[in-house]
Formats: sequence, C-alpha cells, structure tokens
Amino acid sequence: MSIGNRLGSPAGEPIDIKAEMRRAVDSLQSQTHTKDSMTSDLSIDEELNLHSIGWEPVELVCGVSLFSVPMGVWNWGQGEITWASAAYAHAFEGAIARIHRECAKAGGHGVVGVQVERSIHRHHIDVTLLGTAVRPVGAKRVQADQVFVSDLSARDFTLLQVSGWQPLGLAVGASFVYAPRRSIGMAMQQKSQNVELTNFTEAMYAARESAMERMQASALSMAGTGVVEVKVTEGPMDFARHAVGFAAWGTVVRLAGDTHRTLQPSMVVPLDDPSAAFEATALRGK
Amino acid sequence: MPDPAPDLPEAASRRFASGAFTSGLTVPDFAACLQMGLEPVGYVQGFCVMQWGWYGINSPYRRGLTPYGGGQGGYMESWQCPHGFVSAEHRSWGQNYQQSWVENAWGQGFGSAYSRMLEEAVALGAHGVVGVVDTSNRLGDLGVLEFHVRGTAVKVDDAPGPPGGQPWTTYLAGQRLAKLIEAGYMPVSVAAAVSSVRVWAYCMTEYLLEGTNSSWGVAQAGAEITQVASAQMAARQIAREHVRSQMAGDSLHGAEMVVSDRELGQGDQEIQCVLRGNRVRRFKDFDPMPVPHPTVRLS
Amino acid sequence: MTDTPEILPEGLPEATSHRLAELEHGLFTSDLSVNEFLLIKEVGFHPLGFVMGSSIYHTGIQTRKWGQSQELTKLTEAMYNARELAMTRMEEEAAELGADGVVGVRLDVNYYEWGKDAAEFIAVGTAVKAESGVSHRNKLGKPFTSDLSGQDFWTLMQTGYIPQGLVMGTCVYHIAHRGLGQTLGSAGQNIELPNFTQALYEARELAMTRMQDEADQLGASGIVGVRLEEKSHQWGSHTIEFLSLGTAVVKTSGEVTLPTPTTIISLDN
Repeated sequence: MSIGNRLGSPAGEPIDIKAEMRRAVDSLQSQTHTKDSMTSDLSIDEELNLHSIGWEPVELVCGVSLFSVPMGVWNWGQGEITWASAAYAHAFEGAIARIHRECAKAGGHGVVGVQVERSIHRHHIDVTLLGTAVRPVGAKRVQADQVFVSDLSARDFTLLQVSGWQPLGLAVGASFVYAPRRSIGMAMQQKSQNVELTNFTEAMYAARESAMERMQASALSMAGTGVVEVKVTEGPMDFARHAVGFAAWGTVVRLAGDTHRTLQPSMVVPLDDPSAAFEATALRGK
Repeated sequence: MPDPAPDLPEAASRRFASGAFTSGLTVPDFAACLQMGLEPVGYVQGFCVMQWGWYGINSPYRRGLTPYGGGQGGYMESWQCPHGFVSAEHRSWGQNYQQSWVENAWGQGFGSAYSRMLEEAVALGAHGVVGVVDTSNRLGDLGVLEFHVRGTAVKVDDAPGPPGGQPWTTYLAGQRLAKLIEAGYMPVSVAAAVSSVRVWAYCMTEYLLEGTNSSWGVAQAGAEITQVASAQMAARQIAREHVRSQMAGDSLHGAEMVVSDRELGQGDQEIQCVLRGNRVRRFKDFDPMPVPHPTVRLS
Repeated sequence: MTDTPEILPEGLPEATSHRLAELEHGLFTSDLSVNEFLLIKEVGFHPLGFVMGSSIYHTGIQTRKWGQSQELTKLTEAMYNARELAMTRMEEEAAELGADGVVGVRLDVNYYEWGKDAAEFIAVGTAVKAESGVSHRNKLGKPFTSDLSGQDFWTLMQTGYIPQGLVMGTCVYHIAHRGLGQTLGSAGQNIELPNFTQALYEARELAMTRMQDEADQLGASGIVGVRLEEKSHQWGSHTIEFLSLGTAVVKTSGEVTLPTPTTIISLDN
C-alpha cells in the first residue's frame, strides 16, 4: 500500500509542511495538553492507518509467562514429548491472559503489532508478548475476555477491517518429538541405498501435523473462521539435539458482516529503478 | 554566531566556531528537514560516565547483595515456602523488589548526557535536535557505564526561540518527522527511563528453574514460575510508569522497549527494562486522512 | 476419506486426518500474508488450508575421486524422488480438502545431526479453491501447485493464464578432480577449463530439460518464474545438485482483464 509523500487533507489539497512546522513549534509556547495521553510503539505510518479507519492507539501493553519443564523430560525416548508440548501451551496461555488484562485495564479493545518472543530452555519455556492496545476513537471499555490479541501489524489490521474481517486472537499450537532411534542392523543396510527413511518421516510428519492441528483447535475454540499469517517454526533444541520442536501460530479472524469486501487495488509500475544492467537474479541460482 | 558557553570542552568550542555544520542525518533525512523548514546547524552530543558495578563499600550495588534492600517504597513482593523446616540452606523465603538506586543512577547518567547535548545545541542557537541516538555502554571491566546522547541540532526558519531556552528533541528525523507533524503531533522531548527488578528466588522458584522439583526421580507436573513472571511484568510496568511521569499529560509515540536479564545463580536474577520514546503533543485537532488506496507494484 | 496411495506403508499420520477434517468443516488456515490473502480473494479464490508433505530420505554417497565428470544417476533419482514424495503428499492433502490448487509452495531441505546422510524434504503451501465453484484443477484432474506468491498469482490470473503445476528437474553432477599434472601445467594462466565448462553446461541442461518434460506432461503452454538452484548439500564441493524449478501455465479461454498500470515515481528509498 503506498501512501505517497503528501498526505493531503480530506479535501485533497496538499499541505504546506513548512507552515505546519511553524505552527507546531509555536504550539510549544502555550502549555495546552490533551486529556487522554497515550503510549504506543506503533510507527507513524501505522498510526495514520489506524486513524483512517477511526481507531487510535491507547497504551503499550505486555504479557509474560514462564512454565517449568521437569527434569528428565528431554532424555531420549519415543514419540511425543508431552511435558514440553503442555508447558509451551501453558506458557502461552499465561502470557495471553496477562496481556488481555492489561489491555482491558487501559481501555483498549484489542492489541495489534504484538511481538511474540518464545524461548525454550531445558527447564522452562518463556513467552513474552509486547504490543499496542488500540480502540475505536472514543469507545467505552470492554471486558478482558472480549479483547483480541494479534501479531498482525496495524497496517494489516487496517486492511482486514476495510475488507470486512475482524481479528479474534492468537491461535497457537506446538508439538515436541524425539527423533526415532535407528537399529544398527537397519542403519548398516541403508548405507548404500537411496531410500526413504519411513520411521523418521512418520515421526516428523506426525509432529508437524500435530502442531498445526492444535493451532486449528485453538482457532475453533475462539469461533473463528480462519487463521491468517500462519508462521511455522521447527528445529532441534539447542540443549538436546535429538529433540525437535514444531510450533505454529497465527491470527484468528472472522467475517464481521456477511461477505468479504473487495479492495480493487490499482496496478502501479514504479519508475525508479536506477540500475543500468538487466539482471534476472532468479536465474543466477543460489 | 553566539559565544559558546564557557563550560563546554574546548574541542567543542573550536568545532562550533567553524562555519560549516556537521550532521548525522542521511541524505534523504537532510532533504526532508530542509523541506520542513528545518535548517541543520550542527552535530551535538553529551557524555556522562557513571560508576556501575560491584566494587566499593559505598557502591549502590552493594545494597543489592542482601535481600533486605527492598522496602524503600516501590515494588516489592514476598514469597513464602510451602514446606515445613527442611534445612538451614533451604530458601524458605524469597522476594522481588525494585532497585530504585539503579534506576536513579541510570536516570542521572542519561539526564546528564542529555542536558550536555542540549547545552551544545543552545550554544549553536538551535531550536531543536532531531535524529537523537542514545547508547549506554559498559566500558570493559572497569565497572563503569558510559552514556552518550547525540543528534543533529536544527533551527526553524523565522521562528522565535524555544520556551525557557530548552530545545525540543526527538528520536525521529526526515520523513517520519514530517509525517508526525502532518498527523498533528509536535515532538517535545525524547523520553527514556529504566526499571531494575531484583529477584531473590525462594525454594519453589529455584527448583522449578533448575528442574529439580521431583521426588526421587519422578517428574512432577510442570508449574508456572510465578515469581519470575511477576518480576518480568513488574519491570515493564515500572518502566512505563517512570516514562509516564515524564509526560506531564503528553503522549509517548514510537516507543521501544528492551528487556535484558542477568542470571546471578541459584535462580536469582536481575531484570532491567529500558523504555524509550518520543514525547509528543497534539497541536491541531484530530483530522484523519481517508483510507489509503491499495496498489500492487509491478517491479 | 479418500485412500492415500501406498507411499507410506501405514498411511498418513492420524493427526493429518483430524486436521484436514477440521478444515473441511469451514475453518481455513493460510500462511499467506494479509496482502496475499486479500489479492487471492480479489481473483475469486478462497484459501482452504495450510497443506504440507514431507519425506526423510537417505541421500548419502561414498565420495570417490572419479576421473570423469558424470551424472550420479542414483543420487539424482534420490533427490527427485524425495521431493516428489513430499510434493505428492502435499497434493494429497490439498485434494482431500477439495482444493483447486496450492499457491506459495515452498520446498525446503532440513538436515538433522542425528540423521547422518539423511535429509528431510518438505513441501508446504496454502490450498485454495475458486469461490465460483468452477473447477480450476489441472489437465490431470489434480490440484495445481505453484510457487507463485499471492501477488504473482493475482497478476498471472489477470493475464488470462492459469498455473498447472510446479515443475522441477534435477541433476546431481560430479565434477572430476583434475590430475596433478594438469593443475601444475595451467597454474597462473587465465584459460578456460573445458572439463568444468562441459560438466556444468551438461548438468544444467539436463535439469532444465527434465523440468520441460514435466511441463509437457501437464500440457502447459509455458513455464514462468524459472529458478536455477545449485547446492552441494552434504557431499563436498565436487558434487553439485542442479535444481530447476518453475510454474507451468496454460492459457484459459477467458478474456484478459489486465488493467493499464499507472506509472509512479516513489520518493522513498
């Protein structure tokens, strides 16, 4: 979405930025203050997007939780590491509950631009959420359980609102699994063959699907119709390389009205490519 | 060129005496400033070095070594162990508290560096400072923390001097500053504050963090490590409160929060949260632009 | 529930069936960005669900200093089969959902320390379906696959072409070590190394031809977004896999609705 360099007033005239600057500086001479002061970590672009749909930032809010993982959980075993999956889910629940409370207390209707940080240690899983609570301008407070949390940027939130979708919350799912052992006999046999290793495939596949399924279940429990911007991460644990964790999360959405409203974007061709040579970078290979 | 203030370092005076300006602005930001009627007049900076560490009997950190440092007002929470008497080493009692001496020292260091930067700006006759960057670095093992605040001093064409002689300041520069003004906000000053929370773990926290909460090798179910979660929430809360108290009714825009924690062994830790942002004030009524038109680029 | 082909003896894991059933009941998931989601809707498609397929394949070789440059056909087959398995499973999931196609397909290769000489090949994407109900499946009656982003999909649909499938060709080539005599002889000179030239030329051609063959099988008019990737994976620098990927497209009978683009000069960096 391009905003352009001259925002213009609603009537469409370009703004004289020098005069605005003078006016702004002069205003410091008098000590007028607005009643509601806000704190926000949104950029000015994001704030302008929110303003255009009649929303405003209210307060910077956060939620943190740590959940312990008992000793011995990461020792090599079989199948899913259920303690770890449960700890991950609990840590997220705790963090989300706290950010909900902070948002409702500040008078926000939802939190956007949430930065999701998760760290998995041997004995605890930590989740930290930080975002800006927002509300329709001048709206009254709502209860903590009616608040939405989303890692969508304010800009994406604006686009979705314009097309008729509303965010409901963050759907999260995770699954941790042990890498299956290979017996020595099988290992020797497969050294020279190029074959699929079905044991491993099953284990990884199942864990990945499990994580996604839990995310979906989480979305359904919020009565959502879909999950957008799903992020999937996977990888072995730093402290236990035979244990692999899969996580999926995204924003749950639902149509506010009956149908989706199309945006009808225009196609633009920017004429600012300064490079002289033609370069099909894709064909260069990696 | 007004006479530079007498207590600036000599090198600064010499630098200002030459007519040409230096500025930390990139070319696009420089162009945007001129567009707004801001004329860059020089690169200004301020330093302050604070003692920071475990050394010395009178070091503020010494007070952090015992669990009796709390109780000076500010955040404090205590935790009681659920077991009966176990042993003399059993940590039957724990506490989270706010280390206000650390927060005050940080505030002093930042504040001094900031005011020195403003002095240089005033010496140049500037109205404001844009594109402020602030860093705090530990200098090696010397146990000191150096605060360095710098930016580009600007003059507003045909404008009177700033109220009370204090230049306005902002972290923003260039197009972002222009958009802020167009949106109806005027930057007043940069705002920064730190919160420092000390965690003295009690037995349950220590066990949970070390995974030893099991009887005879049988793992107990996991549990939330509430003491640390509380401390983390408190650290962020306190930082926001400190910054709000600097706002005096104005708003904080474009904030950035950075949290770090330092483990001190046996479940103890120290959490530091730095919150920075631009203090801004509305100078014209809320007048939102219409929904921008979406485009798809063919590049 | 449709039968899954006998690729995995035990069939797709249970978790898959549960997950797909939820998606069939109206919940959609997508890893498309909000931009891409909205653009897909613009051309009358709706996301159904995130689909994936994976396969852990043994990909080791015994490295020897072969005197000749040659294709290592067993390894080529392995790399191809592994990706095919992953893609097929992903297509199965999409077919299960009743999708017309999969967009934003990503092919990744993961290595794990505990799986020596093995790599995991993953194919993920978002399954989509036309809201009009008209089938947009490809010539073989299967959901189309494409690695086009949401933006590229939108643009392509405006031109009157539709994706048929992600086509790929691969070739694992071993480049002969030069004899000591040869190396000493040409040290310090700027000359062409005919060995290398021939080898790399042949390898790339093989990869691209195979990709072309796949497109022909789909009855495609052409291939867009062709990418050539070269990787040594775990084999050392004398053995390289050349992978050629693209999206095969076919012209639909529909009208071209390509609007005239506006030219702009954007003033940001």
